[in-house]
Amino acid sequence: MSGRGARSLGSTAFPIPFTHTRQTQPAPQRQDRSNVLQIRNLTKIYEDGTVALHDISFEVKDGEFLVIIGLSGSGKSTLLRCINRLIEPTSGQVIWDDVDITAANQGELRRIRRQIGMIFQHFNLVKRLPVLTNVLTGRLGYVSTWRSILGRWPREDRERAFRNLELVGIAEKAYNRADELSGGQQQRVGIARALMQEPRLLLADEPVASLDPATSHSVMKYIEQLNREMGVTVLCSLHFLSLARTYATRIIALKAGEIVFDGDPLDIDDRRFKEIYGEEAVEVEIR
Amino acid sequence: MARENSAEKNSPSIRNPSLAALLSLLVPGLGQILSGRRERGVSILLTTVVLLALVAWLKFWDLAPLILPFWLYNAWDARQLVLGRRVNTTLLVLLAALLTYSVGWRVTEIDVTQFVEGAPKIRPFVSGLLRPNYLTREIEYGEAKSPVEVPCSDNPPPLSPGPELPRITLDRPCANPGEPLEVFGEGFPPNIKGELWWENTIGDQSRLRVGREFVDFQTDDQGRFQAQIVVPQVTNENPQTHYVEARYVTHVGPLTVSETTYLVVQRMGETIAQALMATTLGALLAVFFSFPAARNLMAFHPVAILLYYVTRGMLNILRAIEPLIMAIVFVVWVGLGPFAGVLALTVHSIAALGKLYSEAIESIEPGPIEAITATGANRIQVIWFAVLPQVWPPFIAFTVYRWDINVRMSTIIGFVGGGGIGFLLQQWIRLTDFRSAGAAIWAIALVVTVLDFLSREVRRRVV
Ligand SMILES: Nc1ncnc2c1ncn2[C@@H]1O[C@H](COP(=O)(O)OP(=O)(O)O)[C@@H](O)[C@H]1O
Ligand SMILES: [Mg+2]
Repeated sequence: MSGRGARSLGSTAFPIPFTHTRQTQPAPQRQDRSNVLQIRNLTKIYEDGTVALHDISFEVKDGEFLVIIGLSGSGKSTLLRCINRLIEPTSGQVIWDDVDITAANQGELRRIRRQIGMIFQHFNLVKRLPVLTNVLTGRLGYVSTWRSILGRWPREDRERAFRNLELVGIAEKAYNRADELSGGQQQRVGIARALMQEPRLLLADEPVASLDPATSHSVMKYIEQLNREMGVTVLCSLHFLSLARTYATRIIALKAGEIVFDGDPLDIDDRRFKEIYGEEAVEVEIR
Repeated sequence: MARENSAEKNSPSIRNPSLAALLSLLVPGLGQILSGRRERGVSILLTTVVLLALVAWLKFWDLAPLILPFWLYNAWDARQLVLGRRVNTTLLVLLAALLTYSVGWRVTEIDVTQFVEGAPKIRPFVSGLLRPNYLTREIEYGEAKSPVEVPCSDNPPPLSPGPELPRITLDRPCANPGEPLEVFGEGFPPNIKGELWWENTIGDQSRLRVGREFVDFQTDDQGRFQAQIVVPQVTNENPQTHYVEARYVTHVGPLTVSETTYLVVQRMGETIAQALMATTLGALLAVFFSFPAARNLMAFHPVAILLYYVTRGMLNILRAIEPLIMAIVFVVWVGLGPFAGVLALTVHSIAALGKLYSEAIESIEPGPIEAITATGANRIQVIWFAVLPQVWPPFIAFTVYRWDINVRMSTIIGFVGGGGIGFLLQQWIRLTDFRSAGAAIWAIALVVTVLDFLSREVRRRVV
């Protein structure tokens, strides 16, 4: 598996336009593109009255790399967190594989969550714990409370953890404390943790917003690799359109909690851009 | 400018500086109020009223004139305000402080003379403190006795010095009250000082004097001495046998560890153990209470929020009660001794640590909790993997620090019967055994310093 990963990373020559590459290598899972995730009339109103999401509906096909763009405060984080109910939606439904996540009880919700990986802008690793333990926590939804607390992780989970660390290229850091790693390395640990869940869906909330441009691309490529080689459906929020164009198969743009664009990355022209980011933002982006 | 501004804001307004000054002279602050500076004027008026009321209530009439500088300057201030000139608020405050501090000085009975003149009174204490008696030489008591008939009968018993040493011999076998009597000693340790005592027929003993001076003796290189005593008055006129006694105390052998030291070490151990037990018990219970006292963990449900307020309130009340007072209560409850101290310190530690722990929990990063929750972990797993790793370092740091504090507090608690070194120290101070008290105080200082160092090291390492 790690061999495959290494080959793939080496062969993905950047900056060849990504859409082109994808069209020439259709993944087998994408033949039957059923809608695995349906968002129906999702609304989130925070306790202070902020309407973060307003009646959002869309569907996600299996294997899509869906990028959500929008200004900060447009509701990207809220949307992603409503999907695995880290934030309780005010109304509306999130349907995953014909299961209504919004109607699930606590036990069901945990079983759904364990199939949905998540990575974060600030990585959200447990800083004082070793990298290996951080990665193993990705299995918490599968391992009994006592086994996990006593550190008696199943042998195959340990092996899986090392495989995943190798996959993201930091196996030698397994026993370091998480906060000893650089930002890019920490995000790769985050990806390895999400991989432990063997996720079918990956939620990524501005995963590269705290990284420099070069590191950003290396992290995005790992996410792309999950999407293309393991068939993981990806919902990823990004701040910059340029990154979104490079990696997305489809883009949804949010503005003030509403969808203002949903379609192919190449269809975002100047007019659309202004709609999403506002008139003043154009210059900034161009410069 | 300023004048016109204020005139616009608060009308009616006076524009005559002399009138303003006069008004303020009559009623402090009035000129300021009427010239549009209401807040300043009211502050001045209130300050004056409060200060004068204080003086009147305490009947410190002689201090009343000290209000004058403030009063006069307030009139000047009103004038300057109306003229639109710069005013000096700092000076106004300082002048008000003059009377305030004078009253404070008197209320707290500060007495510099007493402070200076009383200093010599603590000399015994300081000298004890400077000479803690950790080490001592073994002491040997010795005595020799000789009978003497007082007053002289017609045929007194013959002088018959015994064979064993040391011994004393008198120059004659009988004497009358008030007569001098020569005492010879031999076989004593060389070059020591000793005391001479008188023992009457019923065994009462008193130290012999000539005039007002005690009669002491000093032996020579051979362990001999010669001294003159005056026979004391006796009650019975019939001749009876009394005794002259030579007593001495010698320090023999090398310096050895004193009884005080053993006591100090033993009781210091008790104090440290007391603090250890109290900190451990307190920490365990504090952990238990800290989770419901952490707002971020309890925000999920109204009942939980209620529990939060109840726990918080309880911890705050407990923390407000000084351990010394708790110790008094527990001494009544479980009796004198270290256990009472342990209980008092435990209760206080629960409150203090519970608050600190809960604040540590409240300040954890939410990110890891979010991430672990997203993996499908249950609540226990989230606490174990995302909360605990973030809170145990501050928990340990606070706990070690609390132990350090508890050792210090436990010395105080001993004063009210809570056991430990404080108990001993308090007794020695009462018995004016300042050298032993000094030994205890230095031991406390040493232990506190060492613990302070250790706790700092531990805190440095875990955080
Ligand atoms: N916990 C919260 N309470 C109240 N308002 C919030 C909260 N979290 C986010 N918001 C508001 O909701 C809106 C959407 O926020 P967010 O989803 O974080 O946007 P984005 O991730 O696109 O920057 C913003 O106006 C934000 O201020
Ligand atoms: Mg966000």
